[in-house]
Amino acid sequence: MNEFLFTQILTELEDAVGRENCSVKEIDKVTHSADFFWLSRMWVDRGVRMPEADFIVAPKDAQETSKVLKIANYYKIPVTTWGGGAGSQGGALPVCGGIILDTKRMNKIYEVNTESMYIECGTGAIYKHIEWAANEKGYATMHYPSSLTCSTVGGFLAHRGIGVVSNKYGKIDDMVLQMEVVLPNGDIINTSATPKHAAGPDLNQIFIGSEGTLGIITKAQIRIYEQPEVRRFRGFLFKDMTSAFKASKEVLQKFKPSVMRLYDDAETASLIKKIVGVAKPGAFMNIAYEGVKELVDVEEKILLETFAKYGAEDLGSEYGEKWWNEKITFFYPGHMMDIPQMFGTMDTIAPYDKIEKIYWAMKNAIETKYPYAKFIAHFSHWYEWGCMMYDRFIIDGEHVPQDPVEAMRLHNEIWTLGIRTALENGGVVNDHHGVGIKLGRMMKEQYGPAMQVFEGIKKFLDPNGIMNPFKLGL
Amino acid sequence: MNITEKSKNIIDNCRFCWMCRHVCPIGNATGLERNTARARAMGASLVVRNATELKEIAENIYECTLCGACTNNCMTGFDPKVFIQELKTEIVLNGVAPTYIMDLLEKYTAMGNVFGKTACACLDDLYNTDSETALFVGQDALYKSPESVKNAVALLNKAGVSVSLDKNQDSGAALWFLTGKTQETQNAAKACAEMLNQYKTVIVYDPVDLKLMLHEYKEWGIEITAKVVGFNEYLLALIENGKLAVKKTANEYTLQDNYAYARELDDSETGRKLIEKVGVNKEMLLIGKEANLAGQLIMAEYMPDVIVQVAKDRWQNAINMDCKTMVTENPAEYVALKATAPDGYRVISVEEMLLENM
Repeated sequence: MNEFLFTQILTELEDAVGRENCSVKEIDKVTHSADFFWLSRMWVDRGVRMPEADFIVAPKDAQETSKVLKIANYYKIPVTTWGGGAGSQGGALPVCGGIILDTKRMNKIYEVNTESMYIECGTGAIYKHIEWAANEKGYATMHYPSSLTCSTVGGFLAHRGIGVVSNKYGKIDDMVLQMEVVLPNGDIINTSATPKHAAGPDLNQIFIGSEGTLGIITKAQIRIYEQPEVRRFRGFLFKDMTSAFKASKEVLQKFKPSVMRLYDDAETASLIKKIVGVAKPGAFMNIAYEGVKELVDVEEKILLETFAKYGAEDLGSEYGEKWWNEKITFFYPGHMMDIPQMFGTMDTIAPYDKIEKIYWAMKNAIETKYPYAKFIAHFSHWYEWGCMMYDRFIIDGEHVPQDPVEAMRLHNEIWTLGIRTALENGGVVNDHHGVGIKLGRMMKEQYGPAMQVFEGIKKFLDPNGIMNPFKLGL
Repeated sequence: MNITEKSKNIIDNCRFCWMCRHVCPIGNATGLERNTARARAMGASLVVRNATELKEIAENIYECTLCGACTNNCMTGFDPKVFIQELKTEIVLNGVAPTYIMDLLEKYTAMGNVFGKTACACLDDLYNTDSETALFVGQDALYKSPESVKNAVALLNKAGVSVSLDKNQDSGAALWFLTGKTQETQNAAKACAEMLNQYKTVIVYDPVDLKLMLHEYKEWGIEITAKVVGFNEYLLALIENGKLAVKKTANEYTLQDNYAYARELDDSETGRKLIEKVGVNKEMLLIGKEANLAGQLIMAEYMPDVIVQVAKDRWQNAINMDCKTMVTENPAEYVALKATAPDGYRVISVEEMLLENM
């Protein structure tokens, strides 16, 4: 872009959001060039600059967002939405340059509505901040992912995030009432006033998970919940994962614990031993159940009887409480995998009749082709019909090429193999990390001809293809 | 870039970690992605790897208050302040500091303080060196909140304590903030220590100065032979020894924990005990070690709008919990909160709280 045109666009963007909210400084470009995606981190680690946006703009509301999108559409420049930048799929990376639209000025908490049990807020609000707002009124959001403190409401909506008490309270897509969305052409729309209706397909669910490719969610009503009267924990050790799956499925037909986390033997022997202190062979499972005390008493009885039937060793409440207290510690530097290791979380979901088969198929595929790779997993989000596998591959630094291009090649090969194996065995791309640029290519493999539905919506809403190009396979 | 291995290690661990984003008072006020420990570390890591230049990250380094909320939040114990302070030294020594920082340093050279001010004439009567007990109020209070100095002296006098007030109120805190551990910072600290060592006891009014004297002076090998005691602690002892007579009321007060007391000196209790002596302690969100900073006077010189927003954000915590009277422990937060107090809310200093309940 020549300097004249660059300056022309810059002044128009400054007019839209205010000069102080539009930056072309190197520090702003750099900080918006790498997210939690391993590849972006690796390039930075190698001293290679990632692709950077030309302009960083921070609108304060839907109206300013609309102005930015109209400018971008006129000049046909890409717009990548950035919330907290803590996504692991490269969804917020401005791979084609253009505009980074940072949502964090849209962080206003408009209302804590205890009558209808929701918080209305700008989607640039840090989720922990809306949790604090709920707490101040005696309520809770019940959305507690590891990135609670660093990600925005919009970020979770953009990729269908999930928290640790999802089994009882649901995913982010279950926690939204109404949303305000700015379409690529600048029009500002609102979704249905209630999330349950019969007025056609659900507009919320078209934009939730769209990763900034179909529009920008600027405001949302997020559900809040009463604080549980009691929250109890129980740790168990199963001799194998098969019995744990059966026991868990049976429990879920009767009631919904809030937390259910099953760790495979490898993760029990590594992470759980290190953080929680369980030093026995087997598959560790942590369960939390909560709510009104009388109901929780009944749930506890069902849980203990059911798990005993499948041979689970009852480890009492101590490990579970420790896990709860340390649930975010896992993700701080020094506790988490980090460069120079290569790693990735494949985050697979499938029905009960397929999930264990997928686990073994993926483990065998990856560990056979890449014998220096470790494949470990835990199962952390459960439904009546199936569960999600938080499966990771880890390669120690000595096996990771120093050349960033070669490292990228190896990384992408492993991901393709892993996800393809999951798809071939009845899984889907993933449960809650989203697609980004990391897995765009796998969307077509999962959906086949169904992909044309997404492509059609994209083509209609964003004919110039400016919205977060090359993400979500669109 | 000449920084320690310790700093490089912190940089490499923080550069891809956002876990402390939610507690940064500046990041929360600006919404800027660069106002995170992660962004500062990532920028620094690129400088270390020769992928960008020091001058490109300099401005962002000076957008940190050093309040340590990020450090306190880190479950692993990494302290971004360490590399930030080392980077400031590098930035200044390499001549790439932002113009507004150089302006402050020039004011310091010309006037002895970064505010470029002379001390208020209203304090002239208070200077003396007669007592063996000194009150060290620091430059923030001296130049930006002289009424705090007067109130502090008045309160001590009511307890029968006569204090010396020296004209040198420079602990080195301003140079430390602006330049890190430079020779000039240490020279200011040494001069301060020599002055303080003339006394038996030194009451330190501002916890930011107290923290510098107790931590950094020690690290730099600067000895204070005088007994150093924080203002809050000294007041509490006066009350408990019956020398300062205060009355217990039903007035509700909310402590604005100062980060230096709460996080660096591990004292979140003394301020609350003082409140309990005269009223009822009413808490808001983010207290003790998790306290949210409410003001910073040096940064108010070069990013005033942001510091105003920082104070307003803190007021919002008070409003949400209906805390009508905020009690501050240091002059920077007192000044910022006073300038932004919403209708129906007020801020008072610890000494003002005690004075109104005598």
